[in-house]
Amino acid sequence: MTQQADLVRPAPPEMVIDALSAPFWAAARERRLELQRCQDCGLFIHLPRPVCRRCGSFRLAFEPVSGRGSVYSFTETRRAFHPFFADRVPYLLASIELAEQADLRMLSNLVGIAEPDVRFGMPVEVTFEDLSPDLTIPVFAPAGSLA
Amino acid sequence: MAGRRVAIVGVGYSDAGRRTGLSERHHAAQAARAALADAGLESADIDGLTTWGGNPIDFAHMLGFSPLRWHLDVGISPAFISPAIHAAHAVASGQADTVVAMRVILQQPSRANLWAGGTGMAFDAQFQHPFGDLMPAQWAGLLTNRYLHESDATEEDFANFAVTQRGYAAKNPEALMREPLTAEDYLAAPYISKPLRLLDCDYPCDSGAAVIFTTEERARDLRQKPVFVEATALSATHDMTFELLPDMVRTSPVHCLQELWSRTELTAADLDCAQLYDGFSVITLQWLEALGVCEPGQAGPFVSSGGTSLTGALPTNTDGGACNVGRRHGANFCIEATRQLRGGQSGERQVADAEVALWANAVGPFTGAMLLTGS
Repeated sequence: MTQQADLVRPAPPEMVIDALSAPFWAAARERRLELQRCQDCGLFIHLPRPVCRRCGSFRLAFEPVSGRGSVYSFTETRRAFHPFFADRVPYLLASIELAEQADLRMLSNLVGIAEPDVRFGMPVEVTFEDLSPDLTIPVFAPAGSLA
Repeated sequence: MAGRRVAIVGVGYSDAGRRTGLSERHHAAQAARAALADAGLESADIDGLTTWGGNPIDFAHMLGFSPLRWHLDVGISPAFISPAIHAAHAVASGQADTVVAMRVILQQPSRANLWAGGTGMAFDAQFQHPFGDLMPAQWAGLLTNRYLHESDATEEDFANFAVTQRGYAAKNPEALMREPLTAEDYLAAPYISKPLRLLDCDYPCDSGAAVIFTTEERARDLRQKPVFVEATALSATHDMTFELLPDMVRTSPVHCLQELWSRTELTAADLDCAQLYDGFSVITLQWLEALGVCEPGQAGPFVSSGGTSLTGALPTNTDGGACNVGRRHGANFCIEATRQLRGGQSGERQVADAEVALWANAVGPFTGAMLLTGS
């Protein structure tokens, strides 16, 4: 533990990425939202899994999705539970209902909007935020708000 | 329930509190010895043990339960209901005759742990932590907000829920939080993850709890009036990511209770009291609606009109709930239901002539419920 380390911006929470999830993060790094999809029955699967829960297939691959969806639920976190978020509170977490498939949900952040203005079901679209030189996350903004 | 008829004959707690400095073994030992004393049993009478928290084989040797004919180490599951149901069925099926079920839980995860680093990320956490989704209070914020959106409940109803629970806790000497609470106090407490407020959360503590199950035949000779296991049900409807539940309002309690009521002649109308998990306020409200004691979306007004109070349609969480008794992780609801059905052991919060009680744990992806009767 160096004192100098305390002066720099805290790192994001440590990530454990393996072969199953690496394509998701590699795509995000290139500002694309890609999700795992069964190559036999077409089911999108999120979070990534080794097998398709609908047809049992192991032929799974990541495919681009539209990045369009709507807000199913949201919450404004007021407390920082990790040093990285100390100067980010309050921030919005949301469960996004993605357009590709009924019941396909993604946990992310809402950006470019204040909590009192968020509405259930409001259309949103994906954008990307660099958390560190190595990590980019897909986040969502009100549809049409991204120039 | 198939097999031999099963009764609860002993219940016990450890010396619970905030950061007690005691180990899991201390809490396990205190809780188990308290349950044995309550039942009038000796160590040699115990031939089965299951726990979530600690290890059943380690605890059994420490406590002199040897040899065991049955043991089960319960991992992540719907709180104490999981070891309790497994223990009851081990007795019913004859794998063991007298089984101790335990939940030992130390105060965690603490914010201090997370700030120190070492967030202990499992695979799925990579889709939560980078977004700042780090604590259960945050998925509870999502569930609470969706519930407020779909139901007639208001923040004032949530305030009345907290006030009602504290009212019960004031009548429970074992509750950790007993000071009077007003709706204004609730509304003045900070949001943790809006609309979830501090007083919607259970109260973290170190605790051990133990419940002893045995056959009806053995139960007749013991110290306490037996309380019988009428039916049980476990349910799992999704993986553990609460944040991705396709429906955050009608979750696993709906399925769990369908299963439970299919296994008994009794119905929700027979309940004299209910002990419904309250890790976060919205959980109890979901259970009340799944029980059908009010119309869908009406659990908030049901609570505000006194429906869950001692004189209401369904006295609920009569020990004060985990928000006040402390996070016994569901075991308090089994112990309180048992005491209510023994009659006269719940003091000022006793439900008169209580004969049928339901206790239920967890919400969202997974749940369990157990129906108990006094005769």
